[in-house]
Amino acid sequence: MGDEIARETVLGIDNIPLELPVAGLGSRVLASIVDYLAVMLLAALLGFVALGVASGTGRAGLGWLVFAAGLFLLQWGYFAAFEIALGGRTPGKAAVGLRTVHRTGGAAGAGALVVRNLMRAVDVFAAVPMIAFDPLARRFGDHLAGTLVIHARRAARPVLGRVPPRWGAREVALAESLLARAGELEGDRAARLAHQILAWIERDAPEMLAAAGDPATRRAAPVEALRRALEAEPG
Amino acid sequence: MQYDRFIRLRRPLWDAFEVRLGRLGRGDGGRGRRVRGAIVDHDELEELAIGYRQVLHDHALAAARFPATGAAERLRRLALDGTHRLGGGADETVRRGGPIAFFTRTFPRAFRAQLDLLALAALLFAAAAALGLLTTAARPGLGVAFIGEEARSGLAEGRLWTEVLTTLPPEATSSSIATNNMTVAITAWAGGATAGLLTFYTLILNGLMLGAVVGVALHYSMGGELGAFIAAHGPLEITIILVAAAAGLAVARALVAAGDRPRGEALRAAARSAVTVLLGVLPWLVVLGAVEAWVSPEPAVPAAAKVALGLALVALFWVAALNPFLPPTESDDAEAR
Repeated sequence: MGDEIARETVLGIDNIPLELPVAGLGSRVLASIVDYLAVMLLAALLGFVALGVASGTGRAGLGWLVFAAGLFLLQWGYFAAFEIALGGRTPGKAAVGLRTVHRTGGAAGAGALVVRNLMRAVDVFAAVPMIAFDPLARRFGDHLAGTLVIHARRAARPVLGRVPPRWGAREVALAESLLARAGELEGDRAARLAHQILAWIERDAPEMLAAAGDPATRRAAPVEALRRALEAEPG
Repeated sequence: MQYDRFIRLRRPLWDAFEVRLGRLGRGDGGRGRRVRGAIVDHDELEELAIGYRQVLHDHALAAARFPATGAAERLRRLALDGTHRLGGGADETVRRGGPIAFFTRTFPRAFRAQLDLLALAALLFAAAAALGLLTTAARPGLGVAFIGEEARSGLAEGRLWTEVLTTLPPEATSSSIATNNMTVAITAWAGGATAGLLTFYTLILNGLMLGAVVGVALHYSMGGELGAFIAAHGPLEITIILVAAAAGLAVARALVAAGDRPRGEALRAAARSAVTVLLGVLPWLVVLGAVEAWVSPEPAVPAAAKVALGLALVALFWVAALNPFLPPTESDDAEAR
């Protein structure tokens, strides 16, 4: 199966390779849309606050000062402030499961995050083509700051506590994938697949079926029976 | 090794590491330092470091022996989280010492490192201003493109277009001017990433505008009034735009002439120094905004006082930027570059 996510391999301690799943154009555009919607919402709120200041103090100039200063901080500080405070995430990135990291995989420093976000002055024109054509989806700001945007969403894949002796990684992955996605499969597809895997267990390690319940229970709720047989726990 | 045996043996270590990592914010080591509200002592850090190494090794094993399984995915996630929390950019920028150290040491060092580019920016700006002045001196009509017909007719009647500033609330004017100038400075700085093209454009355009405006004012014998208006804020404002542009040119230089270092490394080093300079000058624009709103358009303030204020601000900026009390060192200059 082809892997569509670009990956940057960095070397950790003892030269152990660590793959960073780089976020592509689609994810980053989606995150940006969410963030710019948030910025617009905050700008609107700022407008109300400024109006309140102006009417409360009777000084229109003060209200304008609040609005102008706040708008400037929103424009240039929203992204950097959130990324610094939330460890590389903005609300948009958090919603899409992305994170800005240093190119070695570690946390990006505050200075680097300031650089990459001030570069939006230029990236507003060039970001999309740069991200589309750069092998690691970097825009100007990422190049100058030495950062990457990666996928950092927590996977909800169960980890099996028991497996039949003859099973390899392929069988384990298949069982875990079924248990993770059983709720998403249409009709009785999950049940049929669970029956199939229970049949493999009966073939390879019939003693494990004791934990799955009696045959009637297994027929009625095969996915749950499979979960019990394999002692699947949340990853 | 059997998958379930691998899980049974190693899972307690992963769970313990995940718990320790969850208690830790962004860590940078240390002896009993407070990190995001949690005191992290040496023993805890050592346990974290050992756990991190174990997780990395288990991640490598799982990726090779049990790819695409839940354990491999969990270990990949733990390894990434651990790297993120415990690792950091080796080339970190302004971090140590706080604002005082930044403005007294870090910023002056970075500023000194780009004086040659500041001279280049000043030369370009001056040349563009001279061109604008000469052009409008010969063809005053061209200056209308910069100031507009309404302002031109005001000049013909002996009024500067800046008089409208006195009718607006000073807080509004000050904030608008300050934020606009900051945006210009940031754009001039960021333009370095375009090999300096946007920076050059900003410098030349602003120089042309200044020269043209002065030329039109001179044509209508309003040069003295214009000079009195810009005397208080103009010198420092131009200086800061030039400094920001020079910082952008430093990035451009690294982009087109990286020298002996890899281009990416040279770019990152230049960006670190350049952003230090930019962050060092931006606060001055807040001061300038206030001067341009409250002092410059005020007819009650004598012209001589405005000139004195303008010169004093520029002198103060240069003293602060150069910090003559800070001895230069070779390593500091190399770090700033």
